[in-house]
Amino acid sequence: MSKATLDGKAIALDDAYRQAASILSGAKFPLVAGLGADVPGARAAILLAERLRGAFDHLASRDLLADLDVKRSFGMFTTTANEARVRADVVILVGPGLTKQWPGMLERLALEQAPVHGTHAGKPRQVIWLGPDAEEAKAVPGARIIPATLEEISGVLAVWRARVGGRRVNLEAAKLELVDGLAQTLKDAKFGCFVWASAVGLDALAIEMMQALVTDLNVTTRFTGLHIGARAGAAGVTQASGWMTGFPPRTGFGRGYPEHDPWRFEASRLIDSGEADAAMWISAFDGEAPSWTRSDIPLITLAPAGAAPARGLFIEVGQPGVTHDAVLMAQETGGMTLRTATAPSDAPTVAQVIDAIMAQVSEVSPC
Amino acid sequence: MLTVLRGGHVVDPATGKDSVGDVWFEDGKIVAPPAGGKADEDIDCSGHVVMAGAIDIHSHIAGGNVNTARLLLPELHRGIRARLANTPLSTAKWSTYETGRLYAQMGFTTVIEPAMAPHHSLQTHLELNDVPIIDKGALTVLGNDDFLLRQIRAREPESAINDYVAQTVGSVRSLGLKCINPGGCESFKENMRAFGLDDEVPFYGLTSRQIFQTLQKATQAVGIPHPLHLHMNNLGIAGNVQTALDTIDAAQGLPMHLAHVQFYAYGKEGSNAFSSAAAVFAEKINANPNITVDVGQVMFSQTVTISSDVLKQFNSMPGGSPRKGAIFDGDANGGGVVPYAYKISNYYNAIQWAAGLELFLLIKNPEQVFFTTDHPNGGPFTAYPELFALLMSAELRAEMMSRLPAEALEHTTLPSLKREYNYYEIAQMSRSGAAKLFGFTDRGSLAPGAIADIAVYKKSRDVAGMFRKAAYVYKDGDLVVKNGEVSHYKRGKTLHIAPRFDNNINKRLDAYYAELYGLPRGIFDVPDAALPHKDAFAEVACKE
Repeated sequence: MSKATLDGKAIALDDAYRQAASILSGAKFPLVAGLGADVPGARAAILLAERLRGAFDHLASRDLLADLDVKRSFGMFTTTANEARVRADVVILVGPGLTKQWPGMLERLALEQAPVHGTHAGKPRQVIWLGPDAEEAKAVPGARIIPATLEEISGVLAVWRARVGGRRVNLEAAKLELVDGLAQTLKDAKFGCFVWASAVGLDALAIEMMQALVTDLNVTTRFTGLHIGARAGAAGVTQASGWMTGFPPRTGFGRGYPEHDPWRFEASRLIDSGEADAAMWISAFDGEAPSWTRSDIPLITLAPAGAAPARGLFIEVGQPGVTHDAVLMAQETGGMTLRTATAPSDAPTVAQVIDAIMAQVSEVSPC
Repeated sequence: MLTVLRGGHVVDPATGKDSVGDVWFEDGKIVAPPAGGKADEDIDCSGHVVMAGAIDIHSHIAGGNVNTARLLLPELHRGIRARLANTPLSTAKWSTYETGRLYAQMGFTTVIEPAMAPHHSLQTHLELNDVPIIDKGALTVLGNDDFLLRQIRAREPESAINDYVAQTVGSVRSLGLKCINPGGCESFKENMRAFGLDDEVPFYGLTSRQIFQTLQKATQAVGIPHPLHLHMNNLGIAGNVQTALDTIDAAQGLPMHLAHVQFYAYGKEGSNAFSSAAAVFAEKINANPNITVDVGQVMFSQTVTISSDVLKQFNSMPGGSPRKGAIFDGDANGGGVVPYAYKISNYYNAIQWAAGLELFLLIKNPEQVFFTTDHPNGGPFTAYPELFALLMSAELRAEMMSRLPAEALEHTTLPSLKREYNYYEIAQMSRSGAAKLFGFTDRGSLAPGAIADIAVYKKSRDVAGMFRKAAYVYKDGDLVVKNGEVSHYKRGKTLHIAPRFDNNINKRLDAYYAELYGLPRGIFDVPDAALPHKDAFAEVACKE
């Protein structure tokens, strides 16, 4: 049996749906945030935000927008994990904690094996890891480790890029030789691939520097990139948001059509400033709590059992791919897939709960 | 409920009708006029043209590459107006919802997305599912995939290749097969920057010609109603008409559809070494009835090019506007997205515009040439009404030509072409012919038994205006558009075929995916349970 609580006290599910509808309908500018959901959950949440003429944001927007901002301001080369696995002869892992962002990364990329596609098939793969965690550094046998702090990564990439382009850099001779050797490795690659995760803390400028290097390398050879998606279903939610509204999360419907503004529709700012006067927080994967500080805004939380906040309305939902089958973006393919439940339960999905609430939210008539 | 559309100019090439008459429908189907029958609803259509709902055979409306374009260009699709009641997201620019609304308003009721990558088909289907009102379908893409290239290299028997093609087309719920720069995308991964009909794909030692000929035969053997849909090599390059002519010669007399042929109608004449070669191309098409084409007309506007021809898209990046782009090396084809602005003052763009119109006007059989802008590559599908108008008026074309660079007019035969399409020919191209091309027997026609997808246009001297806002549109007999506005949403279906094949190919593919990727092949499936609605799909019969 699924559960709902109000300020920690159990209430009937139907009452919870009614209350949620009433809170959201009564708000001047409601926010649908968190969006930690599978694709159907995101789809339902965005339709709800639209009907309410509110706004929506995802809890990992900082990370997903770091990548997207580079794509939409500069451009981007990408590939799939499968293509990196079968074809890449030079792989550059960028930054610390990649195996935490994607625990299956090393198995999936099979870096210790030689590429099997292309005229270079069978020749040993070269792996370079720029700025790994201390405990990760030995994870790939034979990988060349370039130590760097997170903050230094952008500068290191800039030096590589300068030398790939044959430009002068101010480095001592020994270091310059090292960098030039590296630049030559990159230029000699047949199909090179950078692997990164903005979620480890890379900012848009570091990612742009890497993509600019990829662009330069593509003048004479083939190079691309593989990005590791942000947490809580961010990649799938971004895709659904894209086809539904044309925009990624941090989009509002106050004027009756979508407007995207990464500052204006950032969830914590909307709540802490009081611009949003009610919120639905969706965090179905792990019950992660919102990052805003204000506690006087009416709140409806959709999260798994055990993640009920002390305050506000809580409606239990299942975990996508765990308690119910779920459409999610698969990091291992770069495409959407239907994940079968690993521990099925009767907890409702985010989409089911939102549809039940939506049924009680009247259509807002347009201006 | 029995409805009659009374007294309209009925233009229905499927039944040969081009005269004033009535169209009756009931329970979602066209019916014969009942003897002494009285309609529950009697709509006066005098002064209107009544046609079957239009079919767009090639428009990039869904899938990962289209979505990349949306996310790449937030500045190109800012909203401006609120939606009407009960049409969620219908004014969200460039959304799936807006796509359904805008097509329906123009009287289009079926649209084919022509480039669904087998490994990313679920997302395409989720997007198509969110296109309201109209029916949809998708072609899937082979010809740069390792499995097929290995099969051809190993000279496997045709039966084995047929099984692979049938299995793929069926499992991704597609309507048929497209081949995009056969071998060219694989070659781009091998750092080739140009790839012609007889260039060899490194690693596989196959030519483009061999690849598409193999797929052409397989398409016929498997019984896929739509002929192989080919995006040829050398798209957009001066002098590439030779590639197109050679490709037609290579077609072995078998059915083949050539996509967006305007982009292949280029010679090398003039001081810019770029001219229209549409006349010689059209002559070739006229002489080869096994070939069908869609035009990919250029319309002057800011747009974005979206293509799985990654090699071509990479080469296009320096000319992009705004200057940015996304290049995706996929498991097979991948995709490239590069914004582009077609300008009337630009010599090259003017030649492209003229070459497209020449093809329309010089290809004699309207059921051999189809109506596309290769949305959004030549221009958005919303430019169709303007294009209809241009085809129907030599005067309008002359007016446009007066604004082109004078030099461009010296390198096209367009000024000499006075042909004007009539409603009947428009309907052949966009209704009856399009239905035949995909083996649809239930649409593109107003014959009794066809589904009641009907477009009614108020006759006007402003042809573009007439086609932009249909007076009435019925989808499966439901009124969905009135006076040019969508009045309510209904859910359309996604059409697909389910060809038969020997199940042994499944075992072989399971082993292939396990060995190559270490993944269960099912991760790429499109199960019914992944779609929001149970009845998302409808099957179209294969040829026996």
